[in-house]
Amino acid sequence: MIPTHWFLILSAILFTIGVCGVLTRRNGITIFMCIELMVNAVNLTFVAYARQFHQIHGLIFVFFIMAIAAAEAAVGLAIFISLFHHRHTIDVDEANLMRW
Amino acid sequence: MISFIIFFFFAAVAVIFAAMVVLHRNPVVGALSLVASFFALAVMYVLLEAPFLAALQVIVYAGAIMVLFLFVIMLLNLQHQAEPHTRPVQQFLGYTSSAAFGLALIYYLAKFGVTKLPEGVFVADARTVGIRMFEAYIFPFEMVSILLLAAIVGALILSGRTGISSTQGSPSASVPSTKMPPATPASTHSEEVR
Repeated sequence: MIPTHWFLILSAILFTIGVCGVLTRRNGITIFMCIELMVNAVNLTFVAYARQFHQIHGLIFVFFIMAIAAAEAAVGLAIFISLFHHRHTIDVDEANLMRW
Repeated sequence: MISFIIFFFFAAVAVIFAAMVVLHRNPVVGALSLVASFFALAVMYVLLEAPFLAALQVIVYAGAIMVLFLFVIMLLNLQHQAEPHTRPVQQFLGYTSSAAFGLALIYYLAKFGVTKLPEGVFVADARTVGIRMFEAYIFPFEMVSILLLAAIVGALILSGRTGISSTQGSPSASVPSTKMPPATPASTHSEEVR
């Protein structure tokens, strides 16, 4: 049986890759995919602790997180489509209408 | 022993393909790499004795959400637009701060994380999860269904090209007689908005 903290370290690595992508990329959809990566890293932590403490609540939370990520993806991609129609780019640095 | 080999192989797959999402400049390659990373995470869920969640991961994430991403990428036709390079200061600060964050996270996990193995068997199949979900978590379950409905309506409104006012005057013209039977008020409203 594989120890729990190995899964936690894998989850930390994946979360860090997601943070790195959000901070360094400018393509909006790539930033969105990195957010999905971070959500998945947190899901892995939930499942690892659910097995460690024999709690099934962690798995149910993962189920809800998946449903909410689906809703978030639908609305976020619709926002990017709308942004593309208005600005003809999805570079997030160009979306500065509300900046000042 | 065999499970350790599986763990390290699929952990390497997950990390490499996740890094590909960040490093590759073509978003289609990024989306497909993310699908591969999600498959590796499904293997992790199997190793953690949660086969139901592994199936959900493949069906919902790799099957539904990533297909949505791919559709949007191909709809926007992004390959012909080269992504402009990030400013060097942003790149430097992003890489160093995320590396520092990750090292601190791994350090504290290795120092204070749980190291003893769990005892006993942990049954987390679909039956157990379903019974617990529909007994104790029935109210959040219904809330999530309403949230998904709201997300569908919001996505329709946000991504529609025509405004609401253009179809407001003639609702009969905007509701084509397709597969919808004589509709409930909610569905006619969403058709009007679209």
